Amino acid sequence: MAAIPAPKILSVSQVNRLVAGMLEEYFSDIWIMGEVSNFKAYPSGHLYFALKDEESQIQAVCFRDSARKLKWKLEDGLLVIGHGRLEVYVPNGKYQIILDTIEPKGLGALQKAFEQLKKKLEQEGLFRQERKRPLPKLPKVIGIVTSPVGAAIHDMLKTLRLHKAHLKVLLYPVQVQGEGAAEQIAGAIAGLGRREDVEVIIVGRGGGSFEDLWPFNEEIVARAIAASRVPVVTGIGHEVDFTIADFVADIRAATPTAAAQIVAQGWHELEERFREVSSDLLNVMQERLFQEEQKVEELSRHRAFELVSRRISEISHQAEMQRAEMVNSIRSRLSGVTATVNSLTVRLSRQSPVAKIKGWQIQLGSLNSRMERSMTARRSGLSARLEGLAGSLNALSPLSSLARGYSICLKPDGRVVKSLSQVDVGEPVMVRVEDGKLGCEVKEKIKGGGNGK
Amino acid sequence: MANKNTAEKIDFEQALSELERIVKQLEAGNLSLEKSLELFERGVKLARMCKEKLSEAELKVNKLIKEREGEFTEAPFTEED
Repeated sequence: MAAIPAPKILSVSQVNRLVAGMLEEYFSDIWIMGEVSNFKAYPSGHLYFALKDEESQIQAVCFRDSARKLKWKLEDGLLVIGHGRLEVYVPNGKYQIILDTIEPKGLGALQKAFEQLKKKLEQEGLFRQERKRPLPKLPKVIGIVTSPVGAAIHDMLKTLRLHKAHLKVLLYPVQVQGEGAAEQIAGAIAGLGRREDVEVIIVGRGGGSFEDLWPFNEEIVARAIAASRVPVVTGIGHEVDFTIADFVADIRAATPTAAAQIVAQGWHELEERFREVSSDLLNVMQERLFQEEQKVEELSRHRAFELVSRRISEISHQAEMQRAEMVNSIRSRLSGVTATVNSLTVRLSRQSPVAKIKGWQIQLGSLNSRMERSMTARRSGLSARLEGLAGSLNALSPLSSLARGYSICLKPDGRVVKSLSQVDVGEPVMVRVEDGKLGCEVKEKIKGGGNGK
Repeated sequence: MANKNTAEKIDFEQALSELERIVKQLEAGNLSLEKSLELFERGVKLARMCKEKLSEAELKVNKLIKEREGEFTEAPFTEED
């Protein structure tokens, strides 16, 4: 039988050192995944905890220098991925893993930090609805915290112009990403808040990666918003991006444009109201005038109006009837009167003085003719007598004396000379004889002598 | 009825409220036609004043420039294209 070499007997220390050497050589650069358990942060800054899975666990350490680089905080129950190396503690033969990098599994480190700060501030009550302040309805001065270059400011100003004026904008230019951005943003919010004229603040930033938006997830910004004198509206990134600042803000708008819209909403509504009211004014007046027309139209068709018009036609019909009746009665009365008048005329004509006069005229005529007849008769009688008388008278007439030879001496004036005294010698006289006259002159006046008779 | 003068500065909100009152009164429709026309005239005047006010207003944008710690000056801000 071959001799069995005597077994090499190692001391405990030797074993542990050998193990340490082997483990530390083979496990000097490994990634490990496990759930944090039994976490302890020491005042020195070192972090001690165990990483475990369903079946096993390993002690882990994160020394101060590595721990300081963590933006988020380790806690029990977190599933993490760590990078590091194994180290064996020779005195007790236990090994542990020294981690220089730890990332939350599933979430990025920033995401984790986000979750943690969110949780912390939520617990403090910073996101509570009661803390949210109403925005001024019609702000006159709006503070804006954003970068002076880029889409955000451009969009906000464009929107404010669109939703109109009445506004003054105070821009507090800040850096919105990178080192120091959070401090600037926090300072700007406080700075604008100190100005008495600023009534509302917009904190805005255009879209970017989660890392780009990071400053808005920092506690200093959240605190500044919470402490702001005036309400803060956030419009950070795009619709899907939520930052811690958004949670603390009095109003979270999806985008910078939306933030500007919300702030100017009151003005916008006022202007809309104005436009509506001014068109209402015209419409209501037109409507009124239309109604007036309708009223007139309706009235003209109204039953009462119809009744009135029927009544009018009735009345006019009645009036017509009455008129006809009256005309008839007048006519009949008139014909009665006419008859009366006629009969009266007849009667009257019978008693008329005309008739009497005629009668009288006839009487007169007959009297006249009777008178004439008797007159004629008398005249012819008288005439016969007159002729008889004339014959006898003739015998007595001086003219017949003349015929018998007598003459008559007449003065020029026609007086018959009957006495001497009537004439003077030399005076012309006319001597009338039967067949003419003799012009004579008194030659002498001889008294006495007469003619013997 | 103090704002007889269109050049007088009017408060947009006040003018708008009055305009709204006028429209309500007109809508109520229990006014005489004469009174309605009178109100309408006033309304048209107010509307014109509001419109003028709207068109005259322009967005003022200033930026704050840090002078020293806690002190700022304002300067007109224009966007760089």
